[in-house]
Amino acid sequence: MLLHLENLDSGYGFLQVLWDVSLSIETGEYVALLGPNGAGKSTTLKTIAGLLVPFKGEILFKGEIVSGLRGNEICRKGISYISEDTNLFTGMTVRENLFLGAYTIPNKKQVKEILEVVFHLFPRLKEREKQIAGTMSGGERKMLAIARGLMSSPSLLLVDEPSLGLAPIVTADVFQALDTLRRSGVTLLLVEQNVKKALRVTNRGYVLEKGKVVMEGTNESFERNEHFRKVFLGV
Amino acid sequence: MTPHSEDRVPNIFHHAVRSAGAITIFIALVIMVASAIDKGPYIVVNTIVTGGMWALMAMGLALVFGVMNVPSFAHGEFFMIGSLVSFYVVTTLNEYLLRTSVPLLPVIIPLMGMFAACVAGCIAGALCEIMVFRPLRRRSQEQWVMNTFLLTLGLSIIMINGHQLVFGTEFKGIVSYWDFPSVEILGTYISFDRLFVFVLSVIAMICFWSFMKFSRSGQAIRAVSQDEAGALMVGINLDSIQMLTLCVSCGLAALAGASLLFMYPSYPSVGLGPLYNSWFIVILAGLGNVAGAAVGAFIVALFQILTTVYIGEGWGFVIPSALIILVLTFKPSGIFGSVVRGIHDK
Repeated sequence: MLLHLENLDSGYGFLQVLWDVSLSIETGEYVALLGPNGAGKSTTLKTIAGLLVPFKGEILFKGEIVSGLRGNEICRKGISYISEDTNLFTGMTVRENLFLGAYTIPNKKQVKEILEVVFHLFPRLKEREKQIAGTMSGGERKMLAIARGLMSSPSLLLVDEPSLGLAPIVTADVFQALDTLRRSGVTLLLVEQNVKKALRVTNRGYVLEKGKVVMEGTNESFERNEHFRKVFLGV
Repeated sequence: MTPHSEDRVPNIFHHAVRSAGAITIFIALVIMVASAIDKGPYIVVNTIVTGGMWALMAMGLALVFGVMNVPSFAHGEFFMIGSLVSFYVVTTLNEYLLRTSVPLLPVIIPLMGMFAACVAGCIAGALCEIMVFRPLRRRSQEQWVMNTFLLTLGLSIIMINGHQLVFGTEFKGIVSYWDFPSVEILGTYISFDRLFVFVLSVIAMICFWSFMKFSRSGQAIRAVSQDEAGALMVGINLDSIQMLTLCVSCGLAALAGASLLFMYPSYPSVGLGPLYNSWFIVILAGLGNVAGAAVGAFIVALFQILTTVYIGEGWGFVIPSALIILVLTFKPSGIFGSVVRGIHDK
């Protein structure tokens, strides 16, 4: 098991958002985390990424307890978090952003090799190598955020709302890129508002409602479920 | 090249020319040339020499604000520490020199004083981070800007009075670092010390710029100032970067204090003047904008020199203060724009 959350409680300050959340992900899986607005999907990812400290419960990564570690230590363990608002270094060039993505890797030669792989995945970023990140379009920024997340060659990628604020045609590009990643063996945990889209690309999922896991299973089982169809698919 | 990218370049060019920063630089240059024709080229020389040192102070202040969101009012005290350390190192070594005579030593002693001051500044900065800012950051991030403002004000008072308690209130100064004759530039005689100060500030700025641009740690500092959460996500240790930032900026302030010892003898509140100057510069340039601070330093230096020449010495602080009020009223983000993000989040 790559990642396992055990009875996790988490939130912001005094506000508890997650209640007793448990989930697990195997190596190579593409898992969706679904749920309505304010269900705690992003909070779950932030807690795994170490940006929030869980109140209770444990996070196991590769069999090791990582809950309570800070974000930079989590990154060194091999978890990459791509946030909703991308958190790019907007005053730096694309190339500088990517090199900072590989901050945890001291070996320069290795960084260059990863950079080649990433440029192969996102050829458009290679064209824009010298552009300042803040001057790029929304879709390109998302691409850059994903690429930067890949630079630390993580074993688990947490992707938060890759389609948020993007035109449908650009969204397709982003999902294409994620799919290529999955086929190259990266494990992905995806948070997505667009439930239909998410069900089409992932294998398995969890449904969060009001900070609790209310359903888990394969995508076919969701589509057969009466409650799920009514709430998320509108049929 | 696509046609699209071809017409983008002149657009950016036009935008830059019309920006407030470019206009201000242009006006400042015109004023400088006009006054140089009127009163003589020494105005240009003085502007460049003093501007260089204010730039070192202001860049450090802007850096601390950009990376740590700390509006430091204790920055002048690192200037004071620098001048104090340099004074004691130089005078002690000069006494030693009277007893023995080692060739070349008189030339090297001032450099040793400045180096010692720079190191002392770095250490003092690190101590401040460990003893003051880190415990506060651990305890609470609420009202961070206000709290650290008050905290640095307190630090400043403690350091000023600490100086008074231990070293007394008398002026601890030297006439000049080197006994070399003055150099004539554009019909103006400037002492070797002043010339050296300018060269030193240029070297320090180039070193600082290359450090920020090319080194891994420098890039990490810029990353933290642009997006703290993003920096955490790529594995940057915020604690060590914040420590490094304070070390670098306090080291620069101490270096400025040490190299200006012949103009500003060390006494408890010597840092206040340079502190106000750096705040003028940082507000004029835009909070947290390090490159802007370097340019803004020369503009503020020019204004102060012009005020002294045309109106009188006593008005040296009045005109820049009036300028700051105008900047805050009409362009609060500063003429070069602020690059700080998320300052209101804290």
